[in-house]
Amino acid sequence: MSGFESIVGVNPWTALATFCNMIITFLILRHFLFKPVKKMIDDRQQEIDGMYADADRAKAEAKALEQDYRKHLDAAKSERDEILREAVVRAQAKEREILADANAQADAIREKARADIAQERKKAVNELKNDISGIAIDIAEKVTEKEISEKDHEALIEDFIRKMGDAS
Amino acid sequence: MNGPKIYFEIPIFGGIPITQTIVSSFVVMVLLCCAGFILGRKLQKRPTRVQVVVEKLVGMLYNMVEETMGKHNSYWTPYIGALFLSSACGSLIGMTGILRSATSDLSTTLTWALMTSVLVWACNIRTSGFFGWLKGFAEPVAVMLPMNIVSEIAQPISMAFRHFGNIMGGGVLMSMLYSALATASAALLGLIASLGGVVAAVVLLCLGVVWLVWVQLKHKPGILRKIPGILFCVLGALGLLQTLGVLSGVPFLEVGIPGVLSLYFDVFSAGVQALVFSLLTMVYVGNACPPPEEGKQS
Repeated sequence: MSGFESIVGVNPWTALATFCNMIITFLILRHFLFKPVKKMIDDRQQEIDGMYADADRAKAEAKALEQDYRKHLDAAKSERDEILREAVVRAQAKEREILADANAQADAIREKARADIAQERKKAVNELKNDISGIAIDIAEKVTEKEISEKDHEALIEDFIRKMGDAS
Repeated sequence: MNGPKIYFEIPIFGGIPITQTIVSSFVVMVLLCCAGFILGRKLQKRPTRVQVVVEKLVGMLYNMVEETMGKHNSYWTPYIGALFLSSACGSLIGMTGILRSATSDLSTTLTWALMTSVLVWACNIRTSGFFGWLKGFAEPVAVMLPMNIVSEIAQPISMAFRHFGNIMGGGVLMSMLYSALATASAALLGLIASLGGVVAAVVLLCLGVVWLVWVQLKHKPGILRKIPGILFCVLGALGLLQTLGVLSGVPFLEVGIPGVLSLYFDVFSAGVQALVFSLLTMVYVGNACPPPEEGKQS
C-alpha cells in the first residue's frame, strides 16, 4: 500500500529505525573514524613533543660540553702563562749569572794584564838602567880617556841614576 | 504538502510502514559509515592530502567539544560528531530530489532529542545517584518542582520542533517558490503574447539591443547599467521563442533564481540546524557531566 503520513506526526517505527541508525552510525564512526584519527593525531603530537624534548636535551648537553671545554681551555691557557713566566724568570736569572761571571772574568783578565804590564815595565826599567849605565861608562871612558877604578865607577853610576830617578 | 510517503508496509507486528524518512535515514547511515570506514582506513604518520583534511576536521570537532563541555568530556566527541553528520546529511539529502530530508520528519528529530535527554538523565544519575537526580528537580526550592519537570519535558520537544520546523519550513518554502516561479513564467509569456505576439517580442529585443549599445557608447561599461538592456533582450528572445511555439509551458524562471534561495533554505539551514542541535546536546550533556573534582565536592 502507499500513502502519506501526516506532516507533523511521530511514527514509532520511524523513530525506532532512526534510533538504530543513529546508534549504528555512532558506533561505526567511533570505531573506524574518530578513534583511529584521534589516536593518530595524539601519537603524532606525542612524537613531536618527544622530538622537541630530545632536541632540548641535546642542546643542553652541548652547552654543558662547551662550558667544560672552555674551562679546560682556560686552565690550559693559565698553565701556559705560568710556565712562560717561570721560564722568563729563570732565563733572567741565568742572564744575570752569566753577566756576573763574564764581568768577573773580565776583571780577572784586566787585573792580570795590569800586573803583567807593571812587571814588564819594571823589567824594561831595569834593562834600561843597565843599558844606560853601560852607555854612561862608555861615554865617561871616552870623555876622560882614563881608567877609572871599578869602585869609583859604580859610585858614579849610582849617583847618576839616583839623580835621574829623582828627576823623573 | 504531505508528510513522508509510505512506500509499503512489512506485514509483521501489525504492519511496519516503510516511509521515505526510513529510507533516507538508512541511506544516510550507509553513506556515513562507508565514508567513515574509507577515510579512517590506512592512516599514516606522514599523512596524505585527504588524511590531512580528515585530521583537521576531526581535530576541530574534538576542540569544539572540549571547549564546550570541558576536557574531561572529550570522549563524547564521537557521539556529537555522529549526531552532527547525521543531522547535516539527513537535511542535505533532500536536495538530491530523489529522497526526502530525514530531518523534515518529526519522528527523526524527536528521537534524537529524546536520546539527548536520556543521556542527560543518565549522566545526572551517574554523577549524583538516582535519588540525587530526583532531588535535583526540587532545587533550589521545592516550589520549583513543577517548573523543573515542565522544562525537562519541554527541552527535547523544543529541540525536536526547532530542527524539524526549520528544515520542513525550508522545504515548503522552496516548493512554493518553484510553483510560484512556474506560474510567473507562464504569466510573463502570456503577457508578451497578449501584447501582440511576434511584434512585441521583436520590439522588446530591439529595445534591449539599443539600450545595450547606448550604454556601451555613452558610459563606461558597468554591469548595473546593462541590466535593463539584458532584461529586455532576454524577454524579447523568450517571447520570440514562445510565439514560435518552442518554449510554451517551460517554467524558465525556475532556472537560476531558486539556486540563491536554495543556498539559504537547504544548505545554510541544514548546517545551522545540525550545529544548533549538536551544540545544545553538548551544552546539556556537558552540564550533566561536571569535571570530576567538582562532582565530588557537590
